[in-house]
Amino acid sequence: MIEKKMFPYKPDEHEAEKASNSYLMSLIVLIVGVPLPIVNLIATVIFYIGNRKSTYFVRWHCIQALLTQLSLLIVNTAAFWWTISIIFRGKAVTNAYVAYIISVLLLNLIEFIGTMYSAIHTRKGTHVQWWFYGGITQLICKPRS
Amino acid sequence: MKKILVQGFILVVLFFSTWFGLSKADWIKILRIEKVSSQTEEKLGEALWTFFKQDAEENRDLFIKQTIDSIVSKICTANGINRSKLKIHILNKGDINAFALPDGHLVLLTGLMANCESPEALAGVIAHEIAHIESGHIMKKLVKELGLSMMISIATGSGSPEVVINAAKLLSSSAFDRKMEREADINGAEYLLKANIDARPFADFMYQLAEPGKISKLMSWISTHPESAERAEYIIHYLSERTVEADEVIAPQTWNRLQERLEK
Repeated sequence: MIEKKMFPYKPDEHEAEKASNSYLMSLIVLIVGVPLPIVNLIATVIFYIGNRKSTYFVRWHCIQALLTQLSLLIVNTAAFWWTISIIFRGKAVTNAYVAYIISVLLLNLIEFIGTMYSAIHTRKGTHVQWWFYGGITQLICKPRS
Repeated sequence: MKKILVQGFILVVLFFSTWFGLSKADWIKILRIEKVSSQTEEKLGEALWTFFKQDAEENRDLFIKQTIDSIVSKICTANGINRSKLKIHILNKGDINAFALPDGHLVLLTGLMANCESPEALAGVIAHEIAHIESGHIMKKLVKELGLSMMISIATGSGSPEVVINAAKLLSSSAFDRKMEREADINGAEYLLKANIDARPFADFMYQLAEPGKISKLMSWISTHPESAERAEYIIHYLSERTVEADEVIAPQTWNRLQERLEK
């Protein structure tokens, strides 16, 4: 799911730290303890905006982190509102609901492990590319001429 | 580009197939969700009934209890409703009110029984409250207004007395939403039809509630059942499309005797 690949150049220590932080930003929701699915996306977006003029390596990893958060936002938002409708609107707990929550938790767990893995390796200056998200990032993010 | 699209498609398929596969398991049974929720409802019903019992004396007149029981049983038998699930309570209180609590508790106040002009009108009120119970409106209303955590705190006894009072007020002196009231009206009318009870006196009773002169006298029912005239009209409209084969709910002598005993 996550491959180590060659990057066009060797990032320096400062770049590696920033790139690694972009992944850590997406884990902000765990740090602040707010169970709102939008919080980690906002944190990642803010971090990306702050670094959009940064070097190619930093921008590339900021975008990859942002894209992974986007897909999580969709499934987590659905889980959040489904739960709200059960708690406050008296909707029934169904097998489909429990199955959805388990699927979302599994996805979040995989994403969490992947994010930690990416944060550790980018910190060492290694370029890691996620399945699917890495491909899209490659299309979006180009080195400045 | 094509490779990325294929990868994205595989990811979506993987997620949905995981969800689909997991939803085949009976999680409600595995996690004992129904048992837990029925236990919560049972405790909640008990806590609220205890509150109302402290507020007014329970009527223990055997004749009154048996008469009401015969009306309830008639409605339940004709509609395949499990009679043993319902817990009927009569409270000596002049307010004109009746309400349902969680876990099948149905509370009738003697003020309401004494002010019904016919046994059919009383049967209509009972059928309406049974319809709320059968449609699960009580728990839906409590969850919506108080939230699940408050209800659990009442059920586990960890909630403050104010929480119990709020829940009690909510069920006894505020209306269900319009959709729920309409559903209970129509289902209640259907219950009466199946039990061969004329539902028109119930609609008349609703008109009676809508009369301006009756407002102060029938305050409780007005506040818990707004738009009574409109509701009487759609009950009448619903009945006009059906064939009404009405039997006596209870014998006129029994009704008269019931009224006499209520006056005591």
